[in-house]
Amino acid sequence: MSEFDNHLLTNCSRWILFISTVIVLPVLCLGLIRKTKARLQNRIGPPLYQPLFDVLKLLRKGETLSSTMSGVFRLSTVVVVTTTLILAWLTPWLSFKPWSPHADLFFIVYLFALSRVFSLLGSLDSGSAFGAFGASREVTLGLLVEPALMLGLVALGLYCGSSDLKVIFSYPHQLGSHSNELAFVAGTAGVWTLVGISIFLSSLIELSRMPVDDPTTHLELTMVHEAMILEASGRNLALIEFAHALRMSIYFGLAAQCFVHAAAAVWHISALSQAVLNVIGICAIAVFVGVLESLAVKLQWRKVPEFVAYVVSMSLLAAFLVAGSGAVKL
Amino acid sequence: MISSIALCVLCAAVLACLMVGSLHLRLNLFLFGIETLFIAGATALTANAHGDASLFLIAAFIAALKALAVPIFLLRTSEKLNVHRDVGAMITPPLAMHLSIVLLALSFFLTRSIPSPEMIDGGWYGAAAGISLLFTGLVIMLTRRLAIGQILGFLVIENGIYVFALTQTLGMPMLVEMGVLLDMLVGVMICGLLVFKIQKSFEHIDVAQLRDLKE
Repeated sequence: MSEFDNHLLTNCSRWILFISTVIVLPVLCLGLIRKTKARLQNRIGPPLYQPLFDVLKLLRKGETLSSTMSGVFRLSTVVVVTTTLILAWLTPWLSFKPWSPHADLFFIVYLFALSRVFSLLGSLDSGSAFGAFGASREVTLGLLVEPALMLGLVALGLYCGSSDLKVIFSYPHQLGSHSNELAFVAGTAGVWTLVGISIFLSSLIELSRMPVDDPTTHLELTMVHEAMILEASGRNLALIEFAHALRMSIYFGLAAQCFVHAAAAVWHISALSQAVLNVIGICAIAVFVGVLESLAVKLQWRKVPEFVAYVVSMSLLAAFLVAGSGAVKL
Repeated sequence: MISSIALCVLCAAVLACLMVGSLHLRLNLFLFGIETLFIAGATALTANAHGDASLFLIAAFIAALKALAVPIFLLRTSEKLNVHRDVGAMITPPLAMHLSIVLLALSFFLTRSIPSPEMIDGGWYGAAAGISLLFTGLVIMLTRRLAIGQILGFLVIENGIYVFALTQTLGMPMLVEMGVLLDMLVGVMICGLLVFKIQKSFEHIDVAQLRDLKE
């Protein structure tokens, strides 16, 4: 076998691994959350792969469209799914990607915003009052959470000296090459952990999960994300559900990557174990979310800004830590 | 340069900032205990660095009295009075937390211009942590309405002064330190008794309402 063939084979296997992860991991995340919640309520709960069956079932079902809908509704679903797939390809949420492209952090944050805007448009286009309710709340949440997420990522960018997420998340933590070992280890681990916490908490808000919105609620008046997709059915709903689950695993993956980097600053971790830790981290975060959702109660709507303020303060601490650790000369 | 001593006191300063963010007395007292343990750790590390045996003793006393006895005493007081949560004053806790984080950063820039003694390793960070603890204590006192919250803020300020003294000098005489610790303990006890008395005569411990005269 020639050099070229060998290269092609590794590349192909990497692509296959990546694509299967993109399909399996969101299902696993959602399944794990549901399973954990069920176990904590003394139920057996659906099997882990149940979300996949749900999506397959929805794909076979017929669709009902409201008479007020225009083409925007269709377009919105397409854009949401496409942007999420592009995000899965661009964002460094997995350690083992076949080809990691350069992606500016501002670009990534606004791609997330783009998919949010189009899901808003879809819910407004459906003409239902609940959809508009959900859209208005989603905009509020988006407005609140964007500075928190942005500040955290920018702190990382300043620390690593680049706004390119590829560079940031492949930043090598070389132990032993610094004059002051302890300061380096503490600073690096601290910054990555704080940003990891901040990304995780903002993902709870972005994905409308428990302290902000109850994803299993049956009362339309209190819904955020669910109210927006009330009018979607059949294949549309299947695509939206899949995109949402993928978004979730991208966010959890980013947080897990941050924690893995924090650990890599303290101990030496090989590339393979980093990839394994990454996947374990995503699953662990999903289980943690399940536990959190069983224990926490939904916040009052007017208390949500306070919750977001905690996320902002995590990012602020990270930013000041970066400024204080001398990576940036202010 | 940053030493493990500086790291300990910085952790204490960050924990104090986290304290501002919650109004639950139990969580606050727990965080205060951990924060003081970090300061005791810094004292022990300083003792190790300077070969000063009496500082070890002081570290042990801080861990036993300030990190364990005082929070437990205040916790029992709050349980007896049946208060578990402060109502908060002026600004909401997360915003107060932002304020204290900004003050943490500000104290860094303030202490850069203060000449630090040359022979002390990482004294600059220690001074920053001390001043930040001072500010944080002030923020806590400003944003709490219950008397127990006020006591906690005062204790954080005391911690700040101690951290500043510890990191800027080669350690104070043991007698002085012991005296300060004892004073602090007695002060907290008296405050606790006062809180009881306030509760008894006013039927609340809300310091914002103490301005009004009562017949």
